[in-house]
Amino acid sequence: MIEVQHLTKRYGPVTAVDDVSFRVEKGEILGFLGPNGAGKTTTMRVITGYMPASEGSVIVAGYNVFTHPIEAKRRIGYLPETPPLYPDMTVREYLTFVARIKLDGKTSKADRAMRVDHAMKKTHVDDMASRHCSKLSKGYRQRVGLAQALLHDPEVLILDEPTAGLDPKQIMETRDLIRSLAGNHTIVLSTHILPEVAQTCQRVVIINKGRVVAVDTPENLTHQLKGAAALYVQISAPEDATPVLLDIPGARKVTVSDRHQDFVGYEIEAEERRDIRLDVARTVVDRGWGLLELRPMRMSLEEIFLQLTTEEQPQEAQHG
Amino acid sequence: MGSLRNISAIAGKELRSYFASPVAWVMMGLFAVIFGYFYTVYLTFFVRESMQSQFGGGGPVNINARMIRPLLSNASVLILFILPMVTMRTYSEEKRSGTIELLLTSPLKDIEIVLGKFLGAVGLYAALLAVTMLYMAILFWYGDPDWRPVVAGYLGLLLLGSCFLAMGLFISSLTKNQMVAGAATFVVFLLFWIINWFADSVGPMAASVLNYLSITQHFDDFGKGIIDTKHLIFYLSFISFGLFLTVKSVDSERWRG
Repeated sequence: MIEVQHLTKRYGPVTAVDDVSFRVEKGEILGFLGPNGAGKTTTMRVITGYMPASEGSVIVAGYNVFTHPIEAKRRIGYLPETPPLYPDMTVREYLTFVARIKLDGKTSKADRAMRVDHAMKKTHVDDMASRHCSKLSKGYRQRVGLAQALLHDPEVLILDEPTAGLDPKQIMETRDLIRSLAGNHTIVLSTHILPEVAQTCQRVVIINKGRVVAVDTPENLTHQLKGAAALYVQISAPEDATPVLLDIPGARKVTVSDRHQDFVGYEIEAEERRDIRLDVARTVVDRGWGLLELRPMRMSLEEIFLQLTTEEQPQEAQHG
Repeated sequence: MGSLRNISAIAGKELRSYFASPVAWVMMGLFAVIFGYFYTVYLTFFVRESMQSQFGGGGPVNINARMIRPLLSNASVLILFILPMVTMRTYSEEKRSGTIELLLTSPLKDIEIVLGKFLGAVGLYAALLAVTMLYMAILFWYGDPDWRPVVAGYLGLLLLGSCFLAMGLFISSLTKNQMVAGAATFVVFLLFWIINWFADSVGPMAASVLNYLSITQHFDDFGKGIIDTKHLIFYLSFISFGLFLTVKSVDSERWRG
């Protein structure tokens, strides 16, 4: 549905986005993850046709954004970082204006009004319909922005930090809304809140300094580095369990991670692709020790993210 | 060229935002008061003159030549000060608030946005002129002026102002800061206003070019009630050029990001 190929964007001598390529399939939610200044907004602005790329191409719903901007834009809903609201219009006036410029000429006035109502209901802003945009709270501004993006029922939704500035309840509602839109819509959302990606997105593109550093599902990413190959166990034993744990076939390395009065936590590293959980549990129980906790250790997205985005730095330093 | 529906959507939005803010009302009030002042000054002058002429045995004084023409030419000076206030926010404000992202990612052509904004500004300007027509109506109520020079004069004012608006729109598209846009617009207006002052100090060839470029030289005939195609062409090409520059500027803004 969206195909970004070798996208490069330069502002004068500064390269904001460097040879970025990825695809988004129909009905998918893609998370666009990166630290501030990584090039997320620039990439999204190029996809939406707000600015042209220096090199590369973007195809949205079969239309090249640069050569057929009108056709492509008709199929894109875009929520920029700051919701583009006109302060002197009421919410309804604003959305009606958006309907006039986004829907094609054949749409009747009644149909436009219906779509405005529908978008307001969907984003829960209908109770503010006659409030001026300048008097809205941050959460409402964000949701009116979302209503604006949804209004013409576009095939593709590009959301630049859709949950920024919302309170926890609104964040949950917005995430639910976004999830409910997937399937009918193809969604790209950017964020630097990592749990958001794990909760809403089917695939993640991690971008740093204008380059794509990883593309995968959140699950695969969390498995990828340490994966299920590492275990954490808490054992209540009269002696040090390290040698016993090391004897378990498949266990490669055992380290004590935390000591408490009654129990000790161990990290066990297993050989590649070997599930040793059952063996560990049996060994501990057979010895008559207490097994307090046993769980696979996964890297959180935060850790992966930090690892991926900081690994680049030594390289950069060499170049510099 | 662009869809009329999209253009009118933008123009309507522009007009609405002018009248939703105090700017339009302040401008109308200011314009009405200053125009009204000139009106009473010229009217007093005209009444005295026609009385003197009557006692002196001369014929009736022509109200078109002695009152309406100088009044309209004063109005043309007034708009020099007032119109920068109209255009200074058009693009600057959209850039500052980020709403430009909505316009540029909607299925609109650049020309539709520019024309819409231009027509919105012309709409506000026409409303300003409409206020002054009330004063004119009084003259028609009590007197018997020739209506043709009045119509021509208003057409001239509309065209002259539209040139300013097109130029102001272009300048507004260059900056995020509306104060800068306003000041720069005023300076450029002024330059086109006085450009023929330099005509005396340059050679005959350059002088005719400068005179031709002077935006006011073309207005004089309208004030006299003459609608000459050469002036129409000058104004219309000036407007088209200003709008063309605006479209180009919006486009290049995209490339620079």
